[in-house]
Amino acid sequence: MYKYRYLILAILIAPLLSACGPKMTTKSTEFPMMYEERPASILILPPINESTAADAKEYYSTTIQEPLAYSGYYTFPYPITSEILKMEGIYDTELLVNLPLSKFKEYFGADAVLFTTIKKWDLCYIVIASTLTVSIDCDLKSTTSNQTLWKYTGTIVVDLSGGNGGGTLAGLVVKVVMAAVQTAVADYVPYARQANYRALSSMPYGKYHPQHNKDQKIQFVDQTPEKTKTK
Amino acid sequence: MRKLCWGVFFTVLCCLISAGCAPKKIYYFGNYSSTLYSFEKNQTDELLLKHQQELETIITKSETKNLPVPPGIYAELGYINLKSNNSKEAIRLFQAESQLYPESKHLMDRLIESAESKNDQTSQ
Repeated sequence: MYKYRYLILAILIAPLLSACGPKMTTKSTEFPMMYEERPASILILPPINESTAADAKEYYSTTIQEPLAYSGYYTFPYPITSEILKMEGIYDTELLVNLPLSKFKEYFGADAVLFTTIKKWDLCYIVIASTLTVSIDCDLKSTTSNQTLWKYTGTIVVDLSGGNGGGTLAGLVVKVVMAAVQTAVADYVPYARQANYRALSSMPYGKYHPQHNKDQKIQFVDQTPEKTKTK
Repeated sequence: MRKLCWGVFFTVLCCLISAGCAPKKIYYFGNYSSTLYSFEKNQTDELLLKHQQELETIITKSETKNLPVPPGIYAELGYINLKSNNSKEAIRLFQAESQLYPESKHLMDRLIESAESKNDQTSQ
């Protein structure tokens, strides 16, 4: 009995640990449509900017194509497609949300379109500390069925206030100055890239990835609130 | 103590094995995102040239690494050539994209068409 004490302990602790962690789900239970339709090509639409930073849209758009290609999808070259859309008079993706997406199949030959929404791209000052937040909502929609195939949010929060300046008044002043200096040069793009990788971790792999159609059982954190579940 | 040693050894071994099995990257993207971002920040000819050179490097490096050129790279380089009135090279690159990724054929055919009409205009 003494020999097995660690095993018994492990068996007792395991369910406790899993109950405390975030709720998990698998790719196939959460996004079954991805495995049914198996889109091969994705057209990235210009991001919808809901943040207060006006330049976030242009900057964010340079970060998404690469990770999406690594996930195994054919991604249409964004610098070209965004220009074509502009020529066609589509500046704001907001207007497309409820429209039939079959046009994108006709014009580009895309199986799916990716809507991205920049929810947060800002700095938050809390007296002496400052944090940088980048939060991106992704929504992949089919150009044949018009339905959402995959949806996930990636958020990154970075503490910029730096090291410990001490508790004295002088320390406080140093901290304020430091925060101000660091935020002036804060570059969001590396964090946007991390937010993308976080969001894309839940996406089933596309046809150019060796794990394509073999990743149904992969687990990730369930983001769907209980109430809105359809099943 | 001996048991502990074995435990450590086993853990290290497991780590090494799993690291060795980590999936190989399927593409070589080089500094694609950063040169594109620099150009987006300041749209100068110099930064566009840098991005163009990066695209060319990605193509040659992918070949030496025996990897497929990533989606959109041939096409983007073709588009830059098209804009600088180098239609012939643009057409060659659009065809390369279309051959490598059949999903792009629809759009590439459109771009080839516009490059051909531009070529006709300049040669007349």
